[in-house]
Amino acid sequence: MKSRHLLLAVAAALFMIAVSLLVGRFEAYMIGAVAVASIGALALNLLIGACGQISLAQGALLGVGAYAAGNFGNAGWDLLALPAAGVTAALTSVLIGLPALRLRGLYFAIASLAAQTILEYLFKTVEPLTKGISGLVIKPMTLLGTPLVTDQAYAALSVVTLLITWLFMVWVMRTNLGRAFLVVRESEIVARGMGIDVARTKLWAFVASGFFVGIAGALMGFTTRLANPEAFGLPLSVDYVAMIIVGGIGSWGGSIIGAAFVVLLPELIQRLGEFLNVPNVLSAMRELAFGLLIILFLIFEPRGLAALLRRLRPVAIATAAALLGRKQSWKPQSASRRRV
Amino acid sequence: MKTILRYGVIIVALGAAAPAAADINICVWGTITGPDALVNGMSYGTKDYFEYLNQTQGGIAKNKLNVLLLDGRYKLDEELKIYRRCVDQENAVVVNGWSTGATKALREQINADAVPFVTESFSSEVVNPKGLPFIFMAGPTYEQQILIGLRDLAAKGGKKLVLMHGDNEYGRGPVTVVRQSGDIEKLGLALLDTIEFRFDAQDLTAQLLRVKSRNPDLVYVQSSTPQLLVVLRDAAKVGLSGKLFMGNLYNISPAIPAQLGAAAEGFRAIEAYSDFGSDIPAMKEIKTFAEKNEVQKKDVFYMKGWLKGHAIAAAIENTLKKNGGSVPADIKAFRKTVRDEMESLKDLDDGGITPPLNYADHQGTTQARLAEIKNGTYAPVGEWIQARLR
Repeated sequence: MKSRHLLLAVAAALFMIAVSLLVGRFEAYMIGAVAVASIGALALNLLIGACGQISLAQGALLGVGAYAAGNFGNAGWDLLALPAAGVTAALTSVLIGLPALRLRGLYFAIASLAAQTILEYLFKTVEPLTKGISGLVIKPMTLLGTPLVTDQAYAALSVVTLLITWLFMVWVMRTNLGRAFLVVRESEIVARGMGIDVARTKLWAFVASGFFVGIAGALMGFTTRLANPEAFGLPLSVDYVAMIIVGGIGSWGGSIIGAAFVVLLPELIQRLGEFLNVPNVLSAMRELAFGLLIILFLIFEPRGLAALLRRLRPVAIATAAALLGRKQSWKPQSASRRRV
Repeated sequence: MKTILRYGVIIVALGAAAPAAADINICVWGTITGPDALVNGMSYGTKDYFEYLNQTQGGIAKNKLNVLLLDGRYKLDEELKIYRRCVDQENAVVVNGWSTGATKALREQINADAVPFVTESFSSEVVNPKGLPFIFMAGPTYEQQILIGLRDLAAKGGKKLVLMHGDNEYGRGPVTVVRQSGDIEKLGLALLDTIEFRFDAQDLTAQLLRVKSRNPDLVYVQSSTPQLLVVLRDAAKVGLSGKLFMGNLYNISPAIPAQLGAAAEGFRAIEAYSDFGSDIPAMKEIKTFAEKNEVQKKDVFYMKGWLKGHAIAAAIENTLKKNGGSVPADIKAFRKTVRDEMESLKDLDDGGITPPLNYADHQGTTQARLAEIKNGTYAPVGEWIQARLR
């Protein structure tokens, strides 16, 4: 990672933290929601985009994080509730990933779907930990004994966590393990031929992904203050898959863009409906618009918004240069070079 | 640059889309689209009542009511987002929310914000005048609805009871509370069996055969309409009459007689509100409103919405009276006084939708009657029954 990119990421995070602390509760909640979704999308992109393991159990894993954080937090674990939730979700993720040692592609996707269903069932039935169907009420997270009660505080914490997650993703892809992920994604036979332990590589992908999904779930739980089974169903898993498809499979920046897009699109449609004085009509169109966009992306830009923005960059730079009366100094860069 | 400017104008225009400053802001969210949109008359009714006041009386004490209806889609994160918008961005003096889950998640937040919050939930977990002083509901809790059914059974000399419920909180929670309360025994009834079924079950023949073997006088089903359709369909299959079954107020649905025909005849449901079209004063108001406006839902749930409108408007009206007819400048003080006035509402006439409302207990009413399916339509039978055992 270039130091320029690192500085930009840190500056962007600091800016968002400052904004979070200055804006009202609604805006802070939205910033937090985007940050949490971005963490989950980054983690899923590590699994699907980098290692090629299609998982549909993201919603349930988020639930594991939320329930774990709720229990640890309610027991007074302070900030440690976050990593503890991450570890719990990582262990669960490994269990979900075990079939991946024998299954590939769509077959594993179906196995992960089964895991999603089983976990949903457990959320409803393991009452001592989950409070069953009624849901686990979660106390505010404490930071060094001080309860965090404002949306602004959670938004800032979520942005910090997002920065750490992003840095981890970028770092891990520069290690041998990260390179092994890519080889396994492309061909397990080739990976074995190169001496890569495919099973171990896959399990590490599940561990790393699960850890960050768990933290995202924990932040979700602390923000909503209630973990109930209905909130962590298959539709949530589909939302996360949609985030990385819309943003760009295998693109870290795309994960964040996709998460922001999926989280903010319904609100944008709602406000547009109010502006046009047809709020209820457009409200009904939200799901339709969402589905339609996914189809359009799959057909016209399967590499997602990140690739689309990269394609548009020369146009934007050329336009800016023309407006400023300067010569274009930008050189085209292959989109694939920027992908993990 | 033109493109940037164009988008800039659009963004600014969208920012300006927020409603213009109004005298009194009220925020309502429901499930306009989502799994329980069937009963969203509860939201439309409240919104329409305030529009009715605007059109016929110029609002409350000539202060216009600015009502925002939003779609929570029965999604927890969406509802929590909307709540923040209502309280912080819209400066609503009263918020009318939706689901039990969201109300539970927001309990402490509502207390901290000190904003009057009317929930559509009938869960006893969210009604607590001392612990949750800002949360109000409109009608008997699910537990109280079961008790109303049981009191009717006891009054008619029935003894043997079977309870059926789905395997979710909505099904299991109220039944468990009633079972543990000892009220069944106090009413002199014998609980023969409690049968839980999957909330998405498509065949309940085995469960209904079990019911048949118990030979009860009443089977109370705590479930939503899709589940009840399966129960009544399979009951007919095993030779059990619809008359044996009773459901809660969400089981007043035209879909039941329409889809089941004869199998639904005699089925009874708790009716906490007079149905749309009843011969009551509130219907005259609705007819007046309907002359110039479209009524989205013409059902019993719309009547509940209208009722809530009556209660909220009365609390606001009393607040304005105390403030010399004008809207208090401080939104926090306004909200606090509206809460106090809401709690003080006594013998409020809601146009005959329910018996007179009393909000000291934050429920308005704990009475209901039964509606029976006769010749394919629901018809009220008997008088209002009080849920509370004295």
